[in-house]
Amino acid sequence: MVDIQLHDQSCRGCGMCADICPTRVFDYDDEKNKASIRHAEDCIACLSCAYICPSGAITHDNYRVVKNFYRDLTFCGKMEKFL
Amino acid sequence: MNDITEARASLQEAMNFLGALASGIEQAIGQSATSISFLAGKRLGMQFSTGAPTTDNIEQALKTIRDVLVKFDCLWHFEPFKPHDRASMVACQGDEEDILLMYSDCMIRQSLFKFGHAQQGSLCNMMNGFFSGAIRNIMGYESSLTILHAGENACLKRLTVNRKTHVDDFHENGGSSS
Repeated sequence: MVDIQLHDQSCRGCGMCADICPTRVFDYDDEKNKASIRHAEDCIACLSCAYICPSGAITHDNYRVVKNFYRDLTFCGKMEKFL
Repeated sequence: MNDITEARASLQEAMNFLGALASGIEQAIGQSATSISFLAGKRLGMQFSTGAPTTDNIEQALKTIRDVLVKFDCLWHFEPFKPHDRASMVACQGDEEDILLMYSDCMIRQSLFKFGHAQQGSLCNMMNGFFSGAIRNIMGYESSLTILHAGENACLKRLTVNRKTHVDDFHENGGSSS
């Protein structure tokens, strides 16, 4: 299961994470102006919340990282000479 | 090892070309690009799934599609997804059945990101068409795959099978002939 964490002190309360999340993982408290994680079990690790969060308050662990099909092997081969 | 490297480099170039081409035709012909890509994908899905075992069960059909993709060396990882507020994996509404699918590994997403093309364009619709074609052969019904969310590391889509639209030339254990 994906482990999603929201750093409470870093959250600026913009609510963009709650808006972009397709599975409604986040809950937004209008009084405190803070987002919180409500349904962590629904996180699909699309990472959109982490990308959009302006203060970098959201982190994910234990998720499937997309395989990099298109690594430029020729470039990597050239760079290896310098490393 | 060199063969694999060369094959991979060729695939990379082909996918990048396809990404650029899809992005280009969207600008040139607008919304029609989506239909063209969808039909191309549908044809591919029907070709790949020719002779695949048929079923009436949507979850079993998805397993068959996964086998078809593996058979053709397509790394396109997807899995059914059930959120907390959904009673069952497959939801029925009238003649329609739908299931949520989560896609993580996607060669299309990778090729789009390579040159900064937008997601949910015609190339994404090509793979939606692939599913539609495969479902047509495996279940004998028309279907659609709607993109609910296109993310940086995963996408969420809804597969809807319309049981009202049974394919006329569908034969059990043989799929459709077209």
